[in-house]
Amino acid sequence: MSDIDHKFISVKRFAKSAGVGLTNLPFFRAASFLLMGALVSSCSPTPITSDMSDVGRVNAVDAIELPDLSGIWQALNTAHWDVEGHTARRMPATNLIGAYGVMQAGTSVVEGGEIPYLPEMQAQRESNQADWARLDPAAKCYIPGIPRQTYMPAPFQILQTDSEIFIAYQWGSNSRSIFMDRPGSSAPIPSWMGYSLGRWEGETLVVDVTSQVPDTWFDAAGNYHSDALHVEERYRLIDDSHIEYEATITDPKVYREPWTIRMPLYRRIEDDARILEFKCVEFAEDLLYEHLRKDYEGPKALDGSVPENPA
Amino acid sequence: MKNTAALVVVSALIGISSIVSADVPIKSWGKPSLQGNWDFSTITPFQRPSSFADKEFLTPGEIEEYEAAVKNSRAVRAAAEFDGEYDQQDLDVGYDQVYLDQGTTMSSTMRTSQLVYPANGRMPAMTDRGRETAGYFRSLQRRAPEGPEDRNSYDRCILGFNAGPPMRSGAYNNMMKLVQTEDYIVIQTEMVNDHRVIPTDGGKALPNNMRLWKGDSRGEWEGETFVVTTTNFNHLSRFNGTGENMTLTESFTRLDDDRLEYRWTIEDPEMYTDKYTSVVELQSTDADLFEYACHEANYSMPLMLSGARKQEAAGIEDDTWLPSWSR
Repeated sequence: MSDIDHKFISVKRFAKSAGVGLTNLPFFRAASFLLMGALVSSCSPTPITSDMSDVGRVNAVDAIELPDLSGIWQALNTAHWDVEGHTARRMPATNLIGAYGVMQAGTSVVEGGEIPYLPEMQAQRESNQADWARLDPAAKCYIPGIPRQTYMPAPFQILQTDSEIFIAYQWGSNSRSIFMDRPGSSAPIPSWMGYSLGRWEGETLVVDVTSQVPDTWFDAAGNYHSDALHVEERYRLIDDSHIEYEATITDPKVYREPWTIRMPLYRRIEDDARILEFKCVEFAEDLLYEHLRKDYEGPKALDGSVPENPA
Repeated sequence: MKNTAALVVVSALIGISSIVSADVPIKSWGKPSLQGNWDFSTITPFQRPSSFADKEFLTPGEIEEYEAAVKNSRAVRAAAEFDGEYDQQDLDVGYDQVYLDQGTTMSSTMRTSQLVYPANGRMPAMTDRGRETAGYFRSLQRRAPEGPEDRNSYDRCILGFNAGPPMRSGAYNNMMKLVQTEDYIVIQTEMVNDHRVIPTDGGKALPNNMRLWKGDSRGEWEGETFVVTTTNFNHLSRFNGTGENMTLTESFTRLDDDRLEYRWTIEDPEMYTDKYTSVVELQSTDADLFEYACHEANYSMPLMLSGARKQEAAGIEDDTWLPSWSR
């Protein structure tokens, strides 16, 4: 692995040097909030545009300027429940915790609205969805894979070096390396997160993700893929605090044609922003092993107690 | 390699510490580069064996002898014919030599143990509280598991038995990746596919009530050494019998192109009567880390729980669930 690094200028420091303190400018916060609000309310896969005027740059030694994606980011949408448009839905937890235990409504992040399943492959999605709480791999704390890991409801941190771009995800303490210095290489074996090769196309980081196991879903609505999955991600910094994220999904065994999801990723700009530990195993053990506990007496509440008055 | 290590040892002995050779790669912002994949497997014993008594360092010849003896004993075990008798050890550890990846060389520290403090290379005594707590967790693991919580964090795939913090050579997956920017250093361990993102500016400590399996790690450069302090463990983290109030201090010093000194100290007066310190030198490697999807393939947990329920149904009381090697 190369140890010759570019001189990085983090976005935060870039902003400061340009007289644009991210954390002390009410105007910036207000503008950012309005932009976030507009994007969230529309939640549209329509391309997000910007003039790139306030994008942080990596000031490379050899004068190649690349966007600096370093920072803590998070998707703010409901795609982890369902990448297609959906109204609010009940969940198994709804009868226990009421309105908190609900899948929130959201518009589709899929370009064109719907996933172009092959006619004979659609039924599998429906049967997955019908029994999702028992089947969804992410509910079991299995690694969500790409692209789902990106829009799980937790932040992630990008560390950008010349040889690899490392992404540390809070959800599940998962991570991946996007290798920037080994084009044409391939994975030794399939894995849950697959094998990521990155390259820059102008201002956009393009990542080819291959060799993912077929066991992941794209959401809790049963949208699935096969072992032929190929994902091309595109990360484009559109201003200091927003990345336009796209993922084009190709899998000829399951879909009529490639399809694309698109969503903004938001920088976590609070002073003490950090990713914390979310080791999801301990929260999935009831789902996975409850029936194997000593003195198991049937379905129990989330705290392990037997409800006195089940709804 | 051995000659270089010997020079470092000699230098340390004459009081010149933190010698960093000229071929240490430096980041553009002036700090030594720690970035890369590092192999922390070693056959240097964690505690000093009685056969080395008060001997702190080995000669190159003694190291060759020790390494040859370890290789030989593995070869003997690998070639052993099945004697027709199953014993408890066969049941406890379902690995043969093909699965184990414990390294074949001693650390280039040329020391007789990883532990360098206490000075005898042995673990300090536990406090009464430490023994009582360890006994409680052993009792949970001895009985037929009533649920996953009876098993330790390694069986549950929450922590890795060698991933710490701190990292310590174990049966396999003795690999870690360091990713370094000016503001953060990530430690990614292959074991249970886990990471720590450590700020390099000292960070901001979490409040006392926020307890994490891996604790809260904050780093700072002290000269050429990156020093990481970790607190806020939870009461189940239990590295080597430690409790939630332990303080872990880790130091990473790049020695040259191939070697990284990894030193750590644990202070836990609740569980141990003294602090203890380990030092090893990690080797740079071009090998990639694999995604060790431990939980995703944790067939052991449902099988253990199923077995325990079968025993109950048959009226069998079994308190032998603690593996023989940890009794």
